[in-house]
Amino acid sequence: MRSKPTRASSTDVADAVGLERDLRLVGQRVIRHDARDKVTAATAFAADWAMPGMLHGVVLRSLYPSARIKNIDATRAASMPGVAAIMTAKDVPRNTLWTDVPGQTTAVGSLRAKLHVLAEDRVRHQGEPVALVAAETEEQAREAAEAIAVEYELLPGVFDPAQALEPGAPRVHEEGNLLAHWRVCHGDVAAAFARAAVVIEGDYRTQFVDAAYLEPESGVAWIDSDGVITIRVSTQVIEHFRDVAEVLNVPQNRVRIIGTYLGGGFGGKEDVTVEVYLGLLAWKTGRPVKMVWSRQESLLARAKRHPFRLRYRTGALRTGQIVAQEIELLADAGGYAYLSALVLLYATVTAAGPYRVPAVSVDARVAYTNNVPTSAMRGFGAMQVVFGYESQMERVARALGLSPVEMRKINALSRGDTLPVGQVVDTHVALPELAERAWAALGELTPPRAPHVKIGRGLACNFQPYGRIVWLHDWSSAWVGFEMDGSLVVRSGVPDVGGGQASSLCQIAAEVLGVPLEQVSVYIADSALTPLAGTTTASRQLYMSGNAVLKASRELCEQLLKAAAAVLGVDRDAVGLADSAVRTADGRSLPLPELLHACSRMGVPRSHLGVYHAPAGEPVDLEKGAGKVFPDYTYGAHAAEVEVDTETGVVKVLKLVAVHDVGRAINPLSVEGQIQGGAVQGLGYALMEDVVVEKGINMTTSFASYLIPSAVDVPDVRAIVVESGEGLGPFGARGIGEPPIGPPAAAVANAIEDATGARLSVLPLTSERLARALGLM
Amino acid sequence: MHPFEYLAPESLDETLAILARYGDEAKVLAGGQSLLPILNYRLAQPAHVVDINGLPLEGMRLENGRLRFGALTRHATLEESADIRHHCPLLSEAARLIGNVRVRSLGTLGGSLVHADPAAELPMVMLALDARFTLASTRGVRTVPARSFFTGYLSTTIEADELLTEIDVSATPAMGYAVEEISRRAGDFAIVAVAALVRIDRRGRVDDARLAFAGAAPTPVRVSQAEEVLSGHEPTVERVAQAAAAARAAAQPESDTFVSAAYRRLLSGVLARRALARAVSRALEAA
Repeated sequence: MRSKPTRASSTDVADAVGLERDLRLVGQRVIRHDARDKVTAATAFAADWAMPGMLHGVVLRSLYPSARIKNIDATRAASMPGVAAIMTAKDVPRNTLWTDVPGQTTAVGSLRAKLHVLAEDRVRHQGEPVALVAAETEEQAREAAEAIAVEYELLPGVFDPAQALEPGAPRVHEEGNLLAHWRVCHGDVAAAFARAAVVIEGDYRTQFVDAAYLEPESGVAWIDSDGVITIRVSTQVIEHFRDVAEVLNVPQNRVRIIGTYLGGGFGGKEDVTVEVYLGLLAWKTGRPVKMVWSRQESLLARAKRHPFRLRYRTGALRTGQIVAQEIELLADAGGYAYLSALVLLYATVTAAGPYRVPAVSVDARVAYTNNVPTSAMRGFGAMQVVFGYESQMERVARALGLSPVEMRKINALSRGDTLPVGQVVDTHVALPELAERAWAALGELTPPRAPHVKIGRGLACNFQPYGRIVWLHDWSSAWVGFEMDGSLVVRSGVPDVGGGQASSLCQIAAEVLGVPLEQVSVYIADSALTPLAGTTTASRQLYMSGNAVLKASRELCEQLLKAAAAVLGVDRDAVGLADSAVRTADGRSLPLPELLHACSRMGVPRSHLGVYHAPAGEPVDLEKGAGKVFPDYTYGAHAAEVEVDTETGVVKVLKLVAVHDVGRAINPLSVEGQIQGGAVQGLGYALMEDVVVEKGINMTTSFASYLIPSAVDVPDVRAIVVESGEGLGPFGARGIGEPPIGPPAAAVANAIEDATGARLSVLPLTSERLARALGLM
Repeated sequence: MHPFEYLAPESLDETLAILARYGDEAKVLAGGQSLLPILNYRLAQPAHVVDINGLPLEGMRLENGRLRFGALTRHATLEESADIRHHCPLLSEAARLIGNVRVRSLGTLGGSLVHADPAAELPMVMLALDARFTLASTRGVRTVPARSFFTGYLSTTIEADELLTEIDVSATPAMGYAVEEISRRAGDFAIVAVAALVRIDRRGRVDDARLAFAGAAPTPVRVSQAEEVLSGHEPTVERVAQAAAAARAAAQPESDTFVSAAYRRLLSGVLARRALARAVSRALEAA
């Protein structure tokens, strides 16, 4: 895959503070190779793959949210035309997958949460996988799945996390319904409230939402000629080869995952999806098997974003300074744990917002229910709390007569402050500038177009960790090497979810090694052939693998320049790499291929494997506020202008400005794309997206009922990129994958209050809810 | 999708013979904008799908002050045709609100009417226009007024062996018109939609007022209670508000997973007032 750099004008990329200025490719608005491939339909997505003799696999799913499986009779299904295999739990070598939650969850203890590959004696949510079928055609497989007779005995279920925690509630799992419980106690909260001039209480609720990627879960598995079970799959985590091996009870080096370019992930492809089922069916039949989940299936059963109930009590001095936050969080895990405990940890750590608050208590719980499971989704727990803390900030500001921007300036974190969990903020926090710029960029107030219409504006800031929790000891690796002709190869096990993950690596390598971008080929996401780089989650991939590529490239550069100095008979300091040649201080040059041939003769390697280790630490006791949890945070501010129809409650977002300090924009086009995409997804969360689950039954299993915004529902999002150079990533970059989804819901709710005086505290902010709040009904 | 036999008759007689033979076992495919999702979700599993796109049922002709539409006339034609916009602007305004450009380029007038979604725009507009529908079968041809066509949720009086071939409405170039609609998302089915037609006589009084709702009852409905409030009176702001209040009271909305009956009732009143006010102001311009 080749990349052709296209340099567009660099507008709107804001002031750089102390950044390296003499960069050639980093910071350029480069058209990504994958963008070109996608618009010309050259990309072979996971579902585009086909192989001779390939079977089609489908999953039979539970109809009920809580039931005992009394019997499964597949006799008739097995005799149907085209059927090659039917599997139930008893056919799975190891049917239980475990999620380890490192560190301690207060009150529940360390967690080993289980997930059954296929349901055993009971089902815990509607859509839980019960059986697998592989057949010659997808239609035959579906017909056969429908013919499997599953005898259920309905059991009482529990569908609300608060009810799940009441004594006597039906138990979703034998150990009880409290899945995890985190607490933070920082400062003397009671004393701080006693000092407060104003105390604001708020009770907020957020909803289930779906990742709703364009590309549903899909893949093809086969047993390769070397006997290795090979799975080409749409995933954010190629390391799931280990889970497949665990389930099949084969050595981990006998399973290979080839990750494809994704049509979106958003966290929904962080847990295993089709790969375990594909592995099972290929292993059982010995034939290639394809599995593509339908949109209905994906909406029905795939893990959603956690609904939260958030209770805030906020105390502030007359000056606007927040002195106390007392926060209670309760989240719905659905039927299985997945990553719920970690999602809750992110929420706990970030619950008080990017502000200096001397006294904070957080009490956060997540409970099992018989609802659809919840897990990772863009923002990962640090998202729901933005709606809580930014609604509170707005209400305190209104109570004290402060402007939204003043309120943030008074309270913003800055370098040297300590977060409630005891982590010292050791990088620059540009929050006041971000808030100011977002607010200013709204420009002139739009005049109301009719008497029944009111215009309002709202601001919301957030901070989102990037990189994994420090006690996970995160690392990434990348291999960078020259071919003899001077072309460059980058290999790294990075899944590219569509954010430009692969392309940015090329830019970094080309920058350091002095070659044009079109001279770089990149191979990604193959657990057998590319050095492992870890998950494309947690806004970590540019940070982690960008650093691995940077390290590999710099060390390779050093290696080559030493050789060049020897060949040219000059000091190491007198040579450099530029335009595919070695250049000397005295004006001589040696074409790169000649240097590479010389290296070959001298036994100097032309490649380097770089391994980057993130700053690591031991688990901290959150409650005692003992230290570092995340490597660093990305800060942002969004400003929204809305129009409210005061007779119907209909809200239209007229303007949205999204400002983030990304440290350094490696490719401003990709950064702006992340910001605009995240902001629009955040507007969907704000205004319409809602997985409706009634007594465990999902009412929104098509895009006719689960609504995501279309182009005409959202304004053009103005993305403003601020570059402080303060990030831990390559060239000072920070992660920007997740942060932009956080602020829109609170910004819109704050704007609605500004327009109408009505405060909405339940998401999504529908016209009906606003009509009620306005007293229209 | 369940397997079915695909049939593409080339004449009306052939089509009617097929429908007579298969009855309930056959489904007619026009623009496919409702049928295909229904087949994909297996909500219907017909043995035969009868594609009528080869029949000469597309387009509009004017005849003695009436507009006669072939059942295959596409939404895009309703939206874009200058003739239709001149003679029946209400229809053009409503067509613009249907789905999105892809739906409008394929979806047909006849298909929308026979599908009879209570929240769809065209059935509502046909009620306001006092349209007549021509239904053909091997047994003969009958004409049914729009008012007695829609019988319940997704139900009409059409028989399994009948085909809707033609829709005719009287031209209304001198009437003020308006469509108001609120949906959960741009282009989706309406939560509530209102169509209004108003004619004002030389003395400045309303001599013909028509109001129809979608989404306010299990079928699209005419709201005679509101029409009566306006008819024979000067269309003052107060009179329009009174008519809207009558419309609101007459609505029989239901709750669903997403929207309550109470909110639909609120919208019925607000949108009725807005639609009538706009129609009145257009009627005054025309008068």
